[in-house]
Amino acid sequence: MRMAAWLYLILAFGFIYLPVGTLVLFSFQDGTLPVPPFNGPSLQWYTEVLADDDITAALINSLVVAIGSSAVAVVLGFLAAYGLARHVLPGSAIMRGLLIAPLTVSYLIVGLGLLIVLNRTGIGLSLFTAGIGHVVINLPLAFAIIYASMGAQHENAERAARDLGASEAKVVLLVTAPMLAPTLAAAFFLSVTLSWDEFIIAFLLTRFDITLPVEIWSMLRSGLSPRLNAIGSVVFLISVTAVLILEFTVLRRRRS
Amino acid sequence: MTASVRLNQLNHWFGPFHALRDISLEIEAGEYVTLLGPSGCGKTTLLSVLGGFIEPSQGTVFIADADMTSVAPAKRPTTTMFQDYALFPHMSLRDNVAFGLRMTGVGKAERHRKADDKLDLVGLKADGAKRPHELSGGQRQRVALARALAVEPDVLLLDEPLGALDLKLRRAMQDELKDIQRQVGTTFVHVTHDQEEAMAISDRIVVMNAGRIEDAGPPSRIYREPASLFAADFMGEMNHIPAQVGSAGAQTALTNLPAANLMSGAATVCIRPEAVRQDGKGIGLGDATVRDATFFGAYTRAHVIPTTAPDMVVVAHLPPTSLPETGAVLQLSVLPDDIRIFTKDTA
Repeated sequence: MRMAAWLYLILAFGFIYLPVGTLVLFSFQDGTLPVPPFNGPSLQWYTEVLADDDITAALINSLVVAIGSSAVAVVLGFLAAYGLARHVLPGSAIMRGLLIAPLTVSYLIVGLGLLIVLNRTGIGLSLFTAGIGHVVINLPLAFAIIYASMGAQHENAERAARDLGASEAKVVLLVTAPMLAPTLAAAFFLSVTLSWDEFIIAFLLTRFDITLPVEIWSMLRSGLSPRLNAIGSVVFLISVTAVLILEFTVLRRRRS
Repeated sequence: MTASVRLNQLNHWFGPFHALRDISLEIEAGEYVTLLGPSGCGKTTLLSVLGGFIEPSQGTVFIADADMTSVAPAKRPTTTMFQDYALFPHMSLRDNVAFGLRMTGVGKAERHRKADDKLDLVGLKADGAKRPHELSGGQRQRVALARALAVEPDVLLLDEPLGALDLKLRRAMQDELKDIQRQVGTTFVHVTHDQEEAMAISDRIVVMNAGRIEDAGPPSRIYREPASLFAADFMGEMNHIPAQVGSAGAQTALTNLPAANLMSGAATVCIRPEAVRQDGKGIGLGDATVRDATFFGAYTRAHVIPTTAPDMVVVAHLPPTSLPETGAVLQLSVLPDDIRIFTKDTA
């Protein structure tokens, strides 16, 4: 029975991590094909990737879009949550629903819709428009996370701040936002990871400057190469770093 | 800093619910006043009206003779100490206490100095760099007090400040609150449902019930000569003896009591358990049989059944030196000053 449990555990984790492990392993392939047999470790593909200006440019573009769009999504999500949690507004249930509804719309539809609108208005496609697309998909998530943690215990601290002479802006900046710092950081990092490897919207809404997933896709069209494995490993490393930062700073502190 | 408060004919409705009914009250500068009553009696609503969190449907609020009825909390010379303390968890104690001064534009060095003074006042001078989560409940309560006092309000409003503390700590904090109030001289308005706390701490108690003021006065007067049956019961245990007021006085099953200036009709005679005597002084209440008696240290608590009214049970607090056995017959009496009679219209 105990054996079966261990076997199940190994199979389950194998199922989840074997593809990633294979990808990372063959990024060190000494040869031109990322398939068995493994010919021994080599860093040649990493050297090549980091020397490739297109790839490093795409990587930086991705980071800029991820961080920029996430920051905007968190700020807008926070303001919406504050307004709806702290004030009695007409139709607030409908507004909450409309804010969260985009979560159910597929990225393809969001991307196509934005593409049509942008074409009509004559705004050229760029990293900026891809960023707009990412704000559209991340805002509902940021709003939902922040709204859920705006409890009544915070409300009394806000009342106390007002009672002590704080203006509404000071209440938000000095009391509400700092008290919600762990939640704001969680929403931000989650948005960053989602934006970081988002493909469809970035593909539809960029033209000359492209993000990393789009770059990888265009490279894939010329066939498999350990170069792609090396890029994938770098992307994976960055995602893992973001998750670890979240785990060790935000979630750890909240539990204590 | 201190100021008087004058409430004039306040009425407030929450939808159809009449939360405050014709509240008129004057509080002198530097007075320690307690609003006492059961939950839902309107005491917290009244405090919110004083603090500016609720604008009353009718009536006016004057603080230091200035009309404050529709002035926002931040612009009033009042601060509120909230029930859950509402400290800022992300700030040090010093920054918590200095927050109000920071909002009025006091420089950092100056406001930290003042914050340290206030922390010293509440006995937390050495802990200025700590965060609220490192403190015990009693300490948080002190920080909340220091923070509210740091802006030197004319009137400090305390919303059940001791409610979250255990009994022993609560009694200790009562003395401390009273002490601090004497030092700073600020007018304190304190909401509680604990009549012992109210008696220990207040210059004056305002007993509230169903949105009305039932009685207002010094603790000893309210305890000994309550203005209403509700106030009498709320301030402590009370024996109720049904009576009929007529030309011969108040007739009860035990005895006839003098009842001058009272409307004739059904009435209730009230006697505190500790006012029931067995030394024969005052007005005789006849014989009574002891049902049970328990030693409580400072007194002996006995349930006695009057011979002339076998359906009635009277609670008597007798001297601790006498522990009568069950079935013993006692001669009970009461001093005339210890009797209160409420006819239907005063109850």
